[in-house]
Amino acid sequence: MTPAIETVRLTKRYGRRPVVRDLTFSVQPGEVYALVGPNGAGKTTVIRLVAGLAFPTSGTVRMLGEDPHERPSVRRRLGAVVEAPAAFYPYLSGRRNLKLHARLAGGVPHGRIAEVLDRMELTAAADRPVGIYSLGMRQRLGVAAALLTRPAVMVLDEPASGMDPLSLHLVHRVLQEAAEEGTAVLLSTHHLEEVVAYCHSVGLMEEGELIDSVDLRDRRARFRARVSDVPAAVALLRAQPWVREAQRRGDHLVASFEEGAGVERLAAALVGGGIDLYEVRPDVFDLRAHYRERVTAERARRTAVEALAIDAAAVHTGRAARIGRGRGGVR
Amino acid sequence: MTALLVMELGKLARLSSVRFGLVVLALFPWLWAYAPGVFDVYGFFIVSGYQVPALSLLSSMAFLLPLLVAIAAAELLGIEIQHGTLPTVLLRPVTRSQWLLAKLLVVSVLPFLALAWFLLASLAAGASFGFGPFVGGTGLGAAGLLGTGLMVPAQAWVELLRAYAVAAYALLPIALLAVLFAVLFMNAAAGALATLATLIVMELLVVFPGVTPYLLTSQLSAYVAPAVDLGWVVALIAFYCAAFAAVAVIVFERKDF
Repeated sequence: MTPAIETVRLTKRYGRRPVVRDLTFSVQPGEVYALVGPNGAGKTTVIRLVAGLAFPTSGTVRMLGEDPHERPSVRRRLGAVVEAPAAFYPYLSGRRNLKLHARLAGGVPHGRIAEVLDRMELTAAADRPVGIYSLGMRQRLGVAAALLTRPAVMVLDEPASGMDPLSLHLVHRVLQEAAEEGTAVLLSTHHLEEVVAYCHSVGLMEEGELIDSVDLRDRRARFRARVSDVPAAVALLRAQPWVREAQRRGDHLVASFEEGAGVERLAAALVGGGIDLYEVRPDVFDLRAHYRERVTAERARRTAVEALAIDAAAVHTGRAARIGRGRGGVR
Repeated sequence: MTALLVMELGKLARLSSVRFGLVVLALFPWLWAYAPGVFDVYGFFIVSGYQVPALSLLSSMAFLLPLLVAIAAAELLGIEIQHGTLPTVLLRPVTRSQWLLAKLLVVSVLPFLALAWFLLASLAAGASFGFGPFVGGTGLGAAGLLGTGLMVPAQAWVELLRAYAVAAYALLPIALLAVLFAVLFMNAAAGALATLATLIVMELLVVFPGVTPYLLTSQLSAYVAPAVDLGWVVALIAFYCAAFAAVAVIVFERKDF
């Protein structure tokens, strides 16, 4: 299947400063891919490169198999929010702004504007100038504009920044629904708890590089259990063909199963093996902890590499100076 | 493209610099209609309403009109940068060159609209002097303000319309240059200032007589040029316009947003 979004060794430099380095990832139709990382990690640049607003220094970007720069018509199937807050003409109402977007997109079916305004809970404010909208309302209008053409690809830069909890929930729910209908969604975000609930993949960026990719689909299929004998439970489960993975994590047993197997089978196997099962629950992936751990480790690694480079340079300079003195070049 | 043009015309009408410019151009001719020192400066008395447009044009083509046109043209792009709407528009299936061409076309209308408005305001300011036949000149023909005898209204109208059309055409490359600088700097104020700085430098280049006929600023007085010289003026201005528009499109095509 052709990925909805695909980048291969994508690199962007401003002058000599690399902002994005060798980024390779893909997003399939119906997949939600979240880019997370500290401020300045390069997430916004990636979003702009993918949307065709910025040009790669090297590497390629494909949207639905096409280069968005060479074939701007592919953007007919793109819905995007690339500014936070989403940018609109402040003197026009929300509805007029969407009409303008619809006209630029080559038209939308009758009633679609009212539909997306309603979906984003903006009907009451639709005829007020955008200039008096709150930050959250602008962001919701941004998502409404992105949904306008029933896009095959959505690209969103911090779509929920500055939102109250209700709006935040609404935006994430709408994105999840769009993905369920087959839209590929790429978003950058700092809302780790919200995205972990429905994102399929997370790309972790630091200093312009993708330092880790996490497939949350695998993580969501895991269960964590409190049992009377963890090592015995791990050994028992590892011998079962329907168990994909079983391991000890602290005082708990963590396991994932093949398709069709579930908690009932786990309970039956443990009880049948003479192990008491006290509690079992989904093993929710702690993206925040993972993020902290990976970014900290990456920074430590970079610091070590830089220190080594400085040491190597000092040794080189010292050697050169000694050679120079030996030749009488330095007094 | 039609949708883009309509959209851009709507934006032009909302620009604060356009609104301010229209107010200035509406009030400016009244200075001449009632200025007590016209005789001291120009050595003649206004005897006809047809002479006020000439005085308005003579006193504004060197600085005021280029300034207003440059600021408004640069703001048409600058307003997108100010509101952050430029990327939003470019995300739609409109090519960059289409979008910028729509801007350039609308900006090209600007000097003609401004001069039409200025002419109307000047005629309104000169209404108290009457629009009948008079002895003298409009100031926009070969015989200047003193004329060669009796001037009838039809002749005066021809001179006025011709001069204002040529003046608007001479302002056209200034509008396009302002868009080019706004594209380069992605800033309306910088675009307008760079345009004015360019015009000032060109004014100074008159010390090189060889280049003077080719300067943009030399064409600003073309509205009083004899008809025989107009072909050269039209061609030169067309060249400037094409060059500025082409460079603006090329630069814009490769800009990162």
